[in-house]
Amino acid sequence: MGEGIPGERPKTARKILFPLFLIVIPGLLYAGIKQDNFLAGQGWGLLSAEMVLAALALFYWGFERGGASSREAAFIAVLGAAAAAGRIPFAALPNVQPTTFLVIVSGFVFGPRAGFMVGSTAALVSNFFLGHGPWTPWQMFAWGLAGASAGLIRMVYPGIGTLGMSAFNFIWGYLFGWIMNLWFWTSFIQPLNWQSFLASYAASFWFDTFHAAGNAAFYLVFGSSFTKILTRFRRKLKVRIVENRDC
Amino acid sequence: MPDKLFYREKGLFLQSLHPLAAFVYLGTLLVLALAFANPLYLLGILLVVALAVREADGLEAWEGYLKIALFMMVPVMIINPLVVHAGKTVLWEGPRIPVFGRLTVSLEAVCYGAAMSVRLLDIISVFCLYNLIVHPDRALNLFSRFAGRSVLVVSLAARMFPVMVRELERIRGVQQMRGVDFNSGSARERIKKYSSLINILLLSSLEGSLEIAESMQARAYGSGPRTCYSRNPWRPRDALCLSASACALVAGIWGLLNGFGGYTFYPQLDCLISGPGTVAVLLIVLFSLSVPVMAGWGWRRCHYLKSKI
Repeated sequence: MGEGIPGERPKTARKILFPLFLIVIPGLLYAGIKQDNFLAGQGWGLLSAEMVLAALALFYWGFERGGASSREAAFIAVLGAAAAAGRIPFAALPNVQPTTFLVIVSGFVFGPRAGFMVGSTAALVSNFFLGHGPWTPWQMFAWGLAGASAGLIRMVYPGIGTLGMSAFNFIWGYLFGWIMNLWFWTSFIQPLNWQSFLASYAASFWFDTFHAAGNAAFYLVFGSSFTKILTRFRRKLKVRIVENRDC
Repeated sequence: MPDKLFYREKGLFLQSLHPLAAFVYLGTLLVLALAFANPLYLLGILLVVALAVREADGLEAWEGYLKIALFMMVPVMIINPLVVHAGKTVLWEGPRIPVFGRLTVSLEAVCYGAAMSVRLLDIISVFCLYNLIVHPDRALNLFSRFAGRSVLVVSLAARMFPVMVRELERIRGVQQMRGVDFNSGSARERIKKYSSLINILLLSSLEGSLEIAESMQARAYGSGPRTCYSRNPWRPRDALCLSASACALVAGIWGLLNGFGGYTFYPQLDCLISGPGTVAVLLIVLFSLSVPVMAGWGWRRCHYLKSKI
């Protein structure tokens, strides 16, 4: 388990693909800023959508290449489904939902790649049932990034503690809303200056605040026990099946 | 309870399209809606999508989407006129406020807001159409060829979502029988009660995921290069829709490069129809885009056509 599958694409193709994707995103960004070419002519609405799709493709490609074990795949699917189920409105609290919190805890315990998959799967799968919209890729991106960044923060700063992670959850409440605002702002508002930016972000301020406060509250109340549960399951991931070839 | 797919199988023509053809058609609609700025073009696309939604028997679902769109149109209509000072025809001049400078509402900015609202309606409606005509499993099947692992994870999660929702409801019922009232108490108490629900859900379902993993292992997951097959047949109707979409896309891009379909709002509104070319390109694009809708109509009415496509 854990190694790449033999007999797939040759290695050189893999080596080229990754930098190619890395070039595509800044390339689009640069083309958008330099006003006088065809790419910029299509407008920021299309450009931003292309960038998000390229980033998603890059993340998914990383997961494909990673060679996840069967247990890892099953864990990610279950966590993604649980996080998706968390999107169903509950108990008359506006925009308070455990999805972001679950994604962040999963990313923190299982690492950035699994965190991204849990977040983006939660967004995609819940929208199969609630209805897809232009928000789907952005939600996949935002929640995926929340999970991936939680995995990264554990690598950089393992002893972050409950308070630190609550703050991290709180910040992601706002970041999620801000990423979601981006497509709205780039597609329907012109000119794109800091005043229009401020106005569109002010419109969602209270909504994002509820989200952030809910996240932090979830983590403060249940963060450490959830982390403990998931850590126990992570240990089970490491069980290896040893074949006895002698008999 | 949203434990059923948004998609409903109704045996319609648009639902029988190959997922690739459906994706290309919907993608063309989406790209053109984002690329065109001329209000006439945007309205034309809205008309085509509305006809397609009617053809997909989804007017009821569309109503829900339009409500969301309406909710999002309000900030578009308000923010655009307030922050733009480029318009020449000033309708109203307001007081000076700190961040935004003097508030001026110009005719051009109001028109821009209106055009962008139509674009928003276009995009939301295209996604509504996607939900109505593409079965999630068939869409995933399209990607399984080159992203097998991810598709496996997504389809596993999609199968488990309804189970989780029902399980959550069941646990909630049990807790309520024990006297836990989820709708009372302070926000902190409610979050505490809710977290305990999620806690129980996670513990039981993660235990189950180990069994899923074992059954995957037993079915030779990861033991070598995977094979895949497709159940979606490619029929003449798919080729028809694909070529119609390609035709619309080519005509649209050609029009944009030659100055049709674009529109300048500032500093003064442009002419809506700047010549016969504008109308010609618009008609070609709209006709090509409505080919699948017309084919669907003919498919229902004409048995000969039905047997041929």
